[in-house]
Amino acid sequence: MKKFALALVIFLLVLSTAIIKNTTKQIEDEIFTAKENIRVLNSELENVSLEHDYLSSAERLLEYQSQYFEDELIQKNINDIRIYNISDDLNKIQNFKIIKE
Amino acid sequence: MADNKSKLTIEDYKSDFIFKKKENGLNIQFNRVAFIFFVFFIIYLIYTIHLIHLGSRKSKFENINNLPGSKNKLYRADIIDINGNYLAKTVKSIDIGLKTSDIINEKKLLLSLNIIFPDKNFDEIKKKIKTKKFFYLEKKISEENYEKIMKLGDKSLVPEERVLRMYPQKNLFSHVLGQIDDDNNGISGLEKSLNDELRKSTESIKLTLDKDIQFLIRKELIKYQEIFKSKGSAAILMDVNNGNILSLVSLPDFNPNERQNITDVNYINRVTKGTYELGSVFKAFTFASALNEKVIKPETEFLDLPKSIKCDKYRIGEYDNEIPSDLTAEQILVRSGNIGSVKIAQKVGSEKFKLFLEKVGVLSDIDFDIEEVAPQKNYDFGKCRLATASFGHGIATTILQLAKGYSILSNGGYEIKPTLIYKENNFNKKNKRILNRGISEQVVSALRKIVNTEEGTAKFADVQNYEIGGKTGTADQPEGGAYSEAKINTFASIFPTSNPQFVFVVMLDTPKKSKDYYYKYRHRKGGWKGTLYNTAGWTSVEVAGKVIDKIGPILATKYIEVN
Repeated sequence: MKKFALALVIFLLVLSTAIIKNTTKQIEDEIFTAKENIRVLNSELENVSLEHDYLSSAERLLEYQSQYFEDELIQKNINDIRIYNISDDLNKIQNFKIIKE
Repeated sequence: MADNKSKLTIEDYKSDFIFKKKENGLNIQFNRVAFIFFVFFIIYLIYTIHLIHLGSRKSKFENINNLPGSKNKLYRADIIDINGNYLAKTVKSIDIGLKTSDIINEKKLLLSLNIIFPDKNFDEIKKKIKTKKFFYLEKKISEENYEKIMKLGDKSLVPEERVLRMYPQKNLFSHVLGQIDDDNNGISGLEKSLNDELRKSTESIKLTLDKDIQFLIRKELIKYQEIFKSKGSAAILMDVNNGNILSLVSLPDFNPNERQNITDVNYINRVTKGTYELGSVFKAFTFASALNEKVIKPETEFLDLPKSIKCDKYRIGEYDNEIPSDLTAEQILVRSGNIGSVKIAQKVGSEKFKLFLEKVGVLSDIDFDIEEVAPQKNYDFGKCRLATASFGHGIATTILQLAKGYSILSNGGYEIKPTLIYKENNFNKKNKRILNRGISEQVVSALRKIVNTEEGTAKFADVQNYEIGGKTGTADQPEGGAYSEAKINTFASIFPTSNPQFVFVVMLDTPKKSKDYYYKYRHRKGGWKGTLYNTAGWTSVEVAGKVIDKIGPILATKYIEVN
């Protein structure tokens, strides 16, 4: 009986090792593929961000503005800025001031 | 019957027999099991070790991407601004070379290339094919053309991958970022001081600078550099509470993408490297040191102040002879009195005044993130040096140190370290206190009066709703042992004065009067055409006011917490 149990344990260990190894390899492959995809996407994102940063830089935007619009850009007055407070179900519009009174 | 008698004796049977298992056979059986077990155990052990190894090792992906330096020697981490916009970026580019010895069918190749690059001069290429073994057909090729080239399948076309350092903001951050050499080693600015970090780091390095604010400040500086025909100009915007620099501009600047060899001294970083006698902006330190030493109060009166005094052979006079002879300490600062400032400094004493200037950082070496920082000269504070230093002459410092000093004057008197590198936990961390409690408020109140009162010298910077306070400084530049006509006009401002958040310093190097520029009054209707005086009040103050007009809404909505 003891011998049988021992053999069974050994067999189970071998079997579990094989299964675990196989599963780990599969998971590792999946992780590798996922990471490779992320790397490619990251690289693409970086390039697109770079392009976006360049095309939407203030210098460029002003260029486009003068190229496509006749109106001048108007400088925003701090008095025209309001705080829209939606906390506590109360929609309140407050004046925006940076100075202490 | 008697003869047949026999005796029956019953004795205990003693036997030597002991049951024993046959040992030889058993041993063979046991050894066999143990051997099989041992074999399986070894196999199991091998698999276990392998599993542990598989589990603990880094994946191929991590190995490649976590050590960019080992993959590509030219790799450098990206630099981004506080909002994540790229300021410097490493990009890969492909150059297409042509190995002439490997060309099989020249005519067919040229025909195909003509379709891909219709604008190329193919006569020149034909010449090169005949004379050279190898030449670059196209550098920094687009992905689309690269694919087309590869589809030709011609082995004479050799792609070569290169790493490029790009500065998408061009000139905007040139003095901060610096330049790199052909081996991608930093040779100036942050590219130099962070060289090792940039080579090793996989993450982008985040700066405290804001691209949009930097753009607006630079744009205004360029505009006014043309109006006042100045040789150069500089500006720095810094958070007074944590030393984060939001903008650092020095003109003229350069395009780091062009990798020029800059030898002209006019291209120095005027904020960190240029040292100047900054004039009356020092009067705020004189006033603060006297308050800190408790030798004066803002309302302390100085009576019968002369219009000029002599120190050795040098005459010290007032810039404005209309200045009253009886003034309080605060009025001396507001009206920018030279003689009054000398009297205040004399009350403090040479040693204490020098120590104060060192403590606030204007006369001590500064530890900064870029290496292009001027070393601070050590001055002997004799009788005359004390007198001239009280109104900012005879001692030179940098705009960066001045900004640091004004930050300490306005943030409650706490030490700060100006920085360009963003740190997550650098917000409102209170450092060592340098000024006594209450001094900062008194100085800030006086600085506000310089901007919002009729007697003040900085009325053109009184931008509504921002509560600007500050001090002007018009200094003659020393040249060959004497002072020349050329001026350094500086305005050091802080705002909002009710709760100081930012220090903003503008400096114009050798500005000239403008005949045509129209000054619009901020306190009343109308304006004035032409620069009346070549002073900071008519130049740097106007620039600072216009800049704050533009950057104010961004600062207010992005950087100031409103309750």
